[in-house]
Amino acid sequence: MSFNIHRALAVARKEVMHILRDPFTLILVLGLPVLLVVFFGFAIDFDVKNLALGVYDRDNSRASRQLVSVFESSGYFLPEGVPSPTAAVKGLDAGRFSASLMINPDFGRELGRGGQVRAQFLVDGTDNSKAMAVLGYLPDMSRAALKKINGSSAPEYVTLKSRFMYNPELNSRWFVVPGLAVIIIGLLSIMMTALTVAREWENGSMELLLSTPLRPAEIIAGKLVPYVLLVLGGVFFVYLLSRIGFGVPFRGSHLLYLAGVLLFIIAALAQGLLISILTRQQQLAMQLSMITGLLPSMLLSGFIFPIESMPAFFRYFTMILAPRWFMAIARGITIRGAGAADLAAPIFALLVLSALLLVLAFKKFKTDLEP
Amino acid sequence: MKRTLLAFIKKEFAQVLRDPRMKIILFVMPMVQMTVFGLALSSEIKNIKLASVFSPSDSAARRLSGRFTSSGWFLPVAVTPQTDPAGLIVSGAADAVLVFPAEGFKRAAARGRGGVQLLVNATSVTRARSVEAYARNIFAAHAASDAGLEGASAPFGFDVRIIYNPEMESPVFMVPGVMGMIVCLVTIILTSMSLTREREIGTFETIISAPLKNHEILLGKTIPYIILGLGNAALVITAGFLIFGVPVKGQLWQLFAAALTFVITTVGIGTMISTISKNQQQAMMGGFIFLFPAVLMSGIMYPVENMPELLKPVVYLNPLYYFTSLLRNIMLKGGDPSAFFFNMTALTLMAAASGTAAYKRFRQTLN
Repeated sequence: MSFNIHRALAVARKEVMHILRDPFTLILVLGLPVLLVVFFGFAIDFDVKNLALGVYDRDNSRASRQLVSVFESSGYFLPEGVPSPTAAVKGLDAGRFSASLMINPDFGRELGRGGQVRAQFLVDGTDNSKAMAVLGYLPDMSRAALKKINGSSAPEYVTLKSRFMYNPELNSRWFVVPGLAVIIIGLLSIMMTALTVAREWENGSMELLLSTPLRPAEIIAGKLVPYVLLVLGGVFFVYLLSRIGFGVPFRGSHLLYLAGVLLFIIAALAQGLLISILTRQQQLAMQLSMITGLLPSMLLSGFIFPIESMPAFFRYFTMILAPRWFMAIARGITIRGAGAADLAAPIFALLVLSALLLVLAFKKFKTDLEP
Repeated sequence: MKRTLLAFIKKEFAQVLRDPRMKIILFVMPMVQMTVFGLALSSEIKNIKLASVFSPSDSAARRLSGRFTSSGWFLPVAVTPQTDPAGLIVSGAADAVLVFPAEGFKRAAARGRGGVQLLVNATSVTRARSVEAYARNIFAAHAASDAGLEGASAPFGFDVRIIYNPEMESPVFMVPGVMGMIVCLVTIILTSMSLTREREIGTFETIISAPLKNHEILLGKTIPYIILGLGNAALVITAGFLIFGVPVKGQLWQLFAAALTFVITTVGIGTMISTISKNQQQAMMGGFIFLFPAVLMSGIMYPVENMPELLKPVVYLNPLYYFTSLLRNIMLKGGDPSAFFFNMTALTLMAAASGTAAYKRFRQTLN
């Protein structure tokens, strides 16, 4: 008895009924992508602004006030005067300030005499993203301060002109939103698959399905088709929102993108299936899909944290994660307009991984069900 | 009364811990996660593939590009002077390309046209920003040393000191945040499904018909998870200390108080979700709807300061935000009393609110 598409479709119809009968789940499945896009799209901005800066200005000269005003007018810092150095440090302790600036009494005089002066700058090192941002702004601050105090900039005989390719204005959205498709697919397909199959097992209805003339492959295909469609709907929604809502460009081929999406969905479904077969219980399946699906796709795929900066072991370890490769494909096609040739490596890797996961899932399924 | 409650708690523990796989997920996975995230995640950008395009006789350009390589942030990519700089980025051979003037760096500089172009692949915004900042610093240092004025050319500068984490070690950054995240995840998932599961299997009726009072059922259904959540927190703190040397500079009682209040809050929220949902799938989606914004708006992954005003209320209603602030403050700063007091007050209010709401919903469900 070979694979029969009609029988598979019958299972699919049953699954659709399950989903429709439970509008709560449907709303959640469709609502989650909206939630994700809104939160990620609006909330993440790597251009850190409005950092509270404690300022202890013991000099209170024209020069020192100008230095503080440079911080203020940069838009990155919100300076707030404090009466003593202890207060500046206490403010850091209490988390009221992200950094503190302390200016010595002879600051203006020394600078006017052509001497060399230094201002103390304390950075709160407990929050990485903030600390990195503060450190990144400092060179600009000192350059701008010097220019303002001396009235002219030092002659720069060597200049650096940066050109940011693909995203000239360094818009955070262009970086974040194309990566969202990865999270949504990784999340929905792994988890929904794992749960829906695990539920049949937990309820005992899997035995029922197996005792019908249905072949295991038909059951699985039938159960998964509706979820594939749901996930595709979610991806399409993100696509629309990123183009229309956020103005993120789509520079590459849509067809190639769709192929990548399908390939990644296959990998994710196979992973979800594997989880459900291994656990056969919803609670466990859910936990496992969070740990092996959501967290890697959010944290180890290069979505926010760059893979290049990881220690060597993790740079290689991420190679076995499908989200990493799809992230490269999604960003490459949308932002860089990369073609199939440019993305040959990630496409190949994703192909191998999906095939591997699929084979593994089916093997496990077969050994478990067919004596 | 005490006996029945105790028995109920025992039953709940047995139910959770009966499954060896659940034990692994509860205790082994958080450790693995913390190790992975503590070691792997860092916002510092390193290993940037940098190509420098200059003519072979240009020794000044070679010296400057050598400075980039020796800074430790860049990996040199070998290119010939004829290479198309933009092509290197398009093909992915380089993340950044320095293009020196064709007539020779020194000569161009002498004529006041020493403009060097830096092409950056800005697909990743964070990386592009770092590359530019690194390059500016290297250029400034180079200009100073080239003029033979090491330091003196800059009449003004900052003495920067990074306190609490002077080496900028990323485990120290990450562990408190990841710890809060793990505790939040585990408690929400466990509790949001606990009641729903009973209902789905049909054992809920048995519990109702048992000689237990409402509040006993509620306590029996929540205390085990509070204990498990606290156990998880202790485990993660110990691991952070032993594996990464992440200090606990503050008092242990502060840490305990923070963890207890937070776990009560999340268990309350999880219980509420489980009273609302009809089946486990709904419960898990409900847990998700809570967890996602909670993790994202907690300041663990990126600062909450520059979120749009519209989303700020979400941050201030997020227990994980206060818990993360508390953990960072207690573990890394030594637990400043005013910060501790403020965050604990907020967290206590939330614990009270979620506890009461959970109790109310719970009673409705039972009757």
